[in-house]
Amino acid sequence: MTDTLERKTPTREQLLDAYRTMRSIREFEERVHREFATGEIPGFVHLYAGEEASAAGVCLNLDERDTIASTHRGHGHCIAKGVNVGEMMAEIYGRRTGSCHGKGGSMHIADLSKGMLGANGIVGGGPPLICGTALAAKLKGTGGVSVAFFGDGGSNQGTTLESMNLACVWNLPAIFVAENNGYAESTASAWSVASDNIADRAAGFGMPGVIVDGFDFFATYEAASEAIARARQGGGPTLIEMKFTRYFGHFEGDQQTYRADEVEHARAELDCLERFAARVTETGELTRADLDAIDAEVGAEIDKAVDDAKAAPMPTEADLLTDVYVRY
Amino acid sequence: MGDAVVGVVANPLSGRDIRRLVTQASVFPTAEKASMIQRMLTAFQAVGVDRVLLSTDLGGISASVLRTIGQRRSQGIRLPEIEFLDGQPIRQNAQDTVDSVRRMVAAGARVVVCLGGDGTARVAATAIGDAAMLALSTGTNNVFPVVREATIAGLAAGLVATGAVQEQGATTRAKLLEARAGARAETALVDVAVSTERHVGARAVWDPATLTHVFCAFAESDAIGLSSILGQLAPVGRREPRGVFARIAAGAPRRVLAPIAPGLVAPVGVTHVEQMVPGAAYPIEARAGVIAVDGERELEFGPGDQPTVMLRTDGPRCVDVPAVLAASARLGLLDPDRGAQTPTL
Repeated sequence: MTDTLERKTPTREQLLDAYRTMRSIREFEERVHREFATGEIPGFVHLYAGEEASAAGVCLNLDERDTIASTHRGHGHCIAKGVNVGEMMAEIYGRRTGSCHGKGGSMHIADLSKGMLGANGIVGGGPPLICGTALAAKLKGTGGVSVAFFGDGGSNQGTTLESMNLACVWNLPAIFVAENNGYAESTASAWSVASDNIADRAAGFGMPGVIVDGFDFFATYEAASEAIARARQGGGPTLIEMKFTRYFGHFEGDQQTYRADEVEHARAELDCLERFAARVTETGELTRADLDAIDAEVGAEIDKAVDDAKAAPMPTEADLLTDVYVRY
Repeated sequence: MGDAVVGVVANPLSGRDIRRLVTQASVFPTAEKASMIQRMLTAFQAVGVDRVLLSTDLGGISASVLRTIGQRRSQGIRLPEIEFLDGQPIRQNAQDTVDSVRRMVAAGARVVVCLGGDGTARVAATAIGDAAMLALSTGTNNVFPVVREATIAGLAAGLVATGAVQEQGATTRAKLLEARAGARAETALVDVAVSTERHVGARAVWDPATLTHVFCAFAESDAIGLSSILGQLAPVGRREPRGVFARIAAGAPRRVLAPIAPGLVAPVGVTHVEQMVPGAAYPIEARAGVIAVDGERELEFGPGDQPTVMLRTDGPRCVDVPAVLAASARLGLLDPDRGAQTPTL
């Protein structure tokens, strides 16, 4: 008679986990922001600060059966899916101890053992990958779900639209998470997304599409929880659009002449960590001491990650000939 | 410049919440919202509205209207003077609706048309003062806003704004529910529900197992949403000077099948039903939870907040579309030989 799905309220352990994940991402990104300015980090970095509630709210609903595909702004997704932050930092510094032995860098951090298919320098590169892993999960009957994160820029790529079509045609356990931070590099999404709301496109493919306040962990968690439960039960794909603002530029060094006071406003009024802390201490679910302890642990962990990365060896010439092919 | 001014505020985010995922609610496309405004502009011109104030948004509605009015004017189609209320920060949240309605009222709008669902009408009502409101449905649960062709709504709004229809009954005063928890307060136009959930989260309420109370300013038997629970058990009309509330419990012997969201008809157990009189504060006996107004979780409360709900009779003044057009028929207001403007196409 009723098809109400079972509701999931985060437990105390899950709330601690959510806060630790979001704080780790924030601390990691703030630190990379400072370290990048010293010139020691090679290549480009695209920081996820401000968007933490998306990665945390989605990945807290995932387990070892599940896979995610990420973007060029991938540090947050990696941390939320359980990739080791020490190895991530070493990868960003281009060291042998990195997740990909220092040969990938920020935009190619991957850890298949954690179901993290990789950050991806190709905009719109993630969605086709999760159609593959979702099809595998469906055929093998593992109950696994695959999630592709992509941005508002990625939402306009043919690969993303083709993947949504394929996922719907094959009724795959695939979740498309559009992280709409308002800009594809410096191009406003209000100008470049024809349907204006990315979620509206879902109707054309015959899947549910919802818009969520991407600054609110409880909103992202709830939407992801429903979508993932639905996918696990064979209900097929969902498109979730997270709306928020990134706190830093498109890449480190971006002068951001294309936007006004939105970051200041978001940090003061909307910040996911501040809102989360205020809520859970008000309800008594967690105490300030719980959160302070996590802050201290995360701070020490990131300090160690940076120290270890700086001390780690660079890849050698001989490393160029390893890890070229993968044996399945 | 004449003083027959109408405002139109359109919520670019209405009709897109989690109910598309957890129920089978439909998506109301941006293009259709923009098209509804176009159709209203034609109607406003026909009945002699001088000036139209339009909200601006980042969702593409105002941009689409701006493009189209340029094309229509270049085709020789006459339209009222149109002003886009830009220049204010757009936050992509409910504050945008409040800011727009305030500016419209300050600029002399006699009628403000709101495109959205119950949530949009609720927010607009907080800012509308004594201007008349016409809420048109482009949302999910639409109890307060009417589902009506925009052209007809535009004619009615225009006839009120120009003063052509001033009869008793052209507008009616809606009721309000005022929910208080500690120092915070929210108003609702249709229903206030109390949920055992802890957080506002994705806002919508769709799981009856979490409900403990439902208060209704009105409860119609053909309603969708939480007021449908009482719409079947103890209906109350929009114009009756009373409300009704119920305590909800999953295992209660008295049950009703209620259409609480599009595509979701769920059994709801009710332990107590009582009429509400205006002006009395009804206490909510719960230590902690979330209060939902017009179907959206808004107020989180805990021990010490002593939440209450009060029925008020001083809600927004609303345009009664059938009454206005019936008056227009009696008075012959749409007779082109007696002043009504014939559109050029």
